[in-house]
Parts: sequence; C-alpha cells; structure tokens
Amino acid sequence: MLNRFIRYIQRYKGWFGGAAAICIFLGLFTGLLASPPDYYQGELVRIMYVHVPLAHTSTLAYSVLFFGSIWYLWKRDPLVDNMCQASAGICALFTALALITGSIWAKPTWNTWWTWDPRLVSFSVLLLILGGYLMLRKLVDDQERGGRYAAILAIVGGIDLPIIKFSVEWWRTLHQPMSFSTRGVAISDDILVPLTLMSLGAWLLFAYMVMVRTQILYLADLLQAKKGRLLSQTHFSQTSP
Amino acid sequence: MTGFYTRWAIMVGGIILLTIMTYHQYQRDLSTISLATVLNSPTTSETVRIQGMVKSETLSGAVEQGQATFELMDGSTTVPVEYAGPPLENIRELKRMVLIGHLDPATKTFKANDTALINNFGFVAAAYLITVLSLGWAIFAMSQRVMVLFKEIKEEKLYEPENEPLANNE
Repeated sequence: MLNRFIRYIQRYKGWFGGAAAICIFLGLFTGLLASPPDYYQGELVRIMYVHVPLAHTSTLAYSVLFFGSIWYLWKRDPLVDNMCQASAGICALFTALALITGSIWAKPTWNTWWTWDPRLVSFSVLLLILGGYLMLRKLVDDQERGGRYAAILAIVGGIDLPIIKFSVEWWRTLHQPMSFSTRGVAISDDILVPLTLMSLGAWLLFAYMVMVRTQILYLADLLQAKKGRLLSQTHFSQTSP
Repeated sequence: MTGFYTRWAIMVGGIILLTIMTYHQYQRDLSTISLATVLNSPTTSETVRIQGMVKSETLSGAVEQGQATFELMDGSTTVPVEYAGPPLENIRELKRMVLIGHLDPATKTFKANDTALINNFGFVAAAYLITVLSLGWAIFAMSQRVMVLFKEIKEEKLYEPENEPLANNE
C-alpha cells in the first residue's frame, strides 16, 4: 500500500534522528562547556554555534528545494513535490531562526538588532521567497498546479543563494567574511570542533525533519485519497437502486 | 507509543542536565559579585570577579605597562583598586569593566591582577533557548503527526458511514 520510498524513510529515519541528537548534544557540550571564550567577544562567541549551523542548513535546505523543483518539473513525481514542500517549510524555520539568533548576536557586538547589510538583506529575501512558496501551495486549490507554480518560484528564487554566499565579498559589509574558502580555514581548532559537530548535527536534523515532513504530506494525501474513494463508494452504494 | 515518549524524555533530560551543568560552570567561573558583597565578605583572600564603572578623575598610573590605580563604583558603593597585570586596553574613566582579584582586608583595597569582558549571558541564553525550543517543538509535533497518520491508516478508520441527510432525503 505504501510507497517503497516512504517505507525506507520509516525504516531509516531513526538513524538520522539519533545521529543528529548525538552530534548536537556533543556540539552543545563542547560549545557551551569545553570551548574557550573569544578574546574580543568573550562568551558571546557561543551564539555562533547555533547561528552558523542554522544559516548553513537553511542554504542547504534551499538547495534541496531548488534541485527538487527542477526534478519535479522534469519528472512530475508527486513524492518529489512532497519532498520540496517539506524542505521549504523546514528551510523557512531554519532561516527565521538564523535571522533571530543573528539579530540577538548583533545587538551586543554591532550595537543594533538590525542593519541594512547585504548579507542580512539577502538572507531576509530568502525568507520572503519561502513565504511566497508556502503561500502559493496553500492558496492554489489545484495541488498539481500549485506545485508547478511553486517549483518555478523556487527555481527563480535560487538566484538568491549565490548572492547570500558572496555578498560578504562583493560588497563592503559589517558581517564577517567567509571562514571557509579556497584561502583556507580562518577558525581556530578550539572553535572548529563544536562548530563542526553542531553543523553536522543540524544537517542530519534537517535530513530527519525532511523525511518526517515528507511522510506527513504523503500519508495525508494517501488518507485523503482513500477517504474520497470510500466516500464515493459508500455514497454510490447508498444512492444506487 | 511508550518508546516515543521514552525517547523524548531522554532527550529532554539530557538538555536539562546540560543546562544545569552550564549554569553551574558559568556561576562558578564567570559570574561577578557586587562591590558591597566583596566589602562585607568574611573570606577576603578568595579570588573573585567584580564589575563596576571606573570613577571619573581617579584613574592614574602607567596603564600601558599594566600598572594603574583607580576607584571602581557600582551604584553608591565605591572600592579603591590597585591593578597590576597585563597592559590595560581601552581603559578610560566611566568605562564599565570586570576585574579579577581579591580584597586586601587591611586597606580595603581591591588588588586586581586581570580583567575580563562584561558577561552577556542573557543574549547567549536567549539564542540557545529560542533555537532549542523552536526546533524541539517542531520535531515533536511532526513526529506525533506521523504516528497519528500511521495509526489512522492502520486502523482503517477512514470513513464511517453515518445517516447522511443527503442519502435519506433521496
């Protein structure tokens, strides 16, 4: 009855969730208790261990949405559409949290909650695109048509990803430049360990959440289809002579 | 169902344990005490952290060489400070700062040997709380929804025929 992919998800998603929980717990432990404070920022540097993984994961989530949308327009697989919708919702959550934690970090370091910095603006645009995507899914009654329109929006919105990534190099910004680049890694090992653990945990968590959300969308569709079929069967048997 | 709630209880327990450990470490190593508490403390040899503002027209000494004397004030309480340690960066009058040292009981002077940044634990705690609570709530709600959907499909309580007014009317 269930799609093979959904059965695989049901079988293996627990491994992703468990691995994410272990990585995040170790990351929180090393980030909060074992890593040293920063020379200039002091204890505030610990916000980085949640803010940066959230921001990285939201761009990863949008990449999944972008390529999934191309795949959906090409193959028209409803399961891929479910996966794209799942990625969009979770990406919106990660993006909003990245913006909120960034704002909390900005207040004591930049002395402002918000500034019209290119990185912040391009990241907020990502949240607006995701809001538009999710609204399209809700507002268009025909699910297939809504999926098609939303996929086109997601592909067009993909232009924001390189802008987010390179905004700190293209424009003069308050935001710090890239720490990982072809020039090397500009982070000390004490900070790199919790940051890597938390980033890995956030990616695994995203994978787990996409699996669960895809399951929800698929099962809800399945249930609705069955309800409709049963309803029409019962109605037919009751009304036919 | 029991396994689901057991897993969540373990995760919540782990987070609470980590929160308690973090709170204790920060209280022990990084929290500052008020100037009044230092002045009234019976054990004065203990190294403590105090926070206050450098009183105007009291700063003197070779600041660049790490030698300075000034008065630190917090509200109406003032403590004379003799600093001897690493060179002081950006020190100026009316600047808030954290000093590490101990109180000399004879002269009631605070002998400081290092400085630290002012703690902003509120910002750190807010960022972590918002992230953990939001993600935790989202994952919990999603996991529960999957369980309910699977249960509905397995039990096949999909449609229960009822006395439909439409059918009766016909």
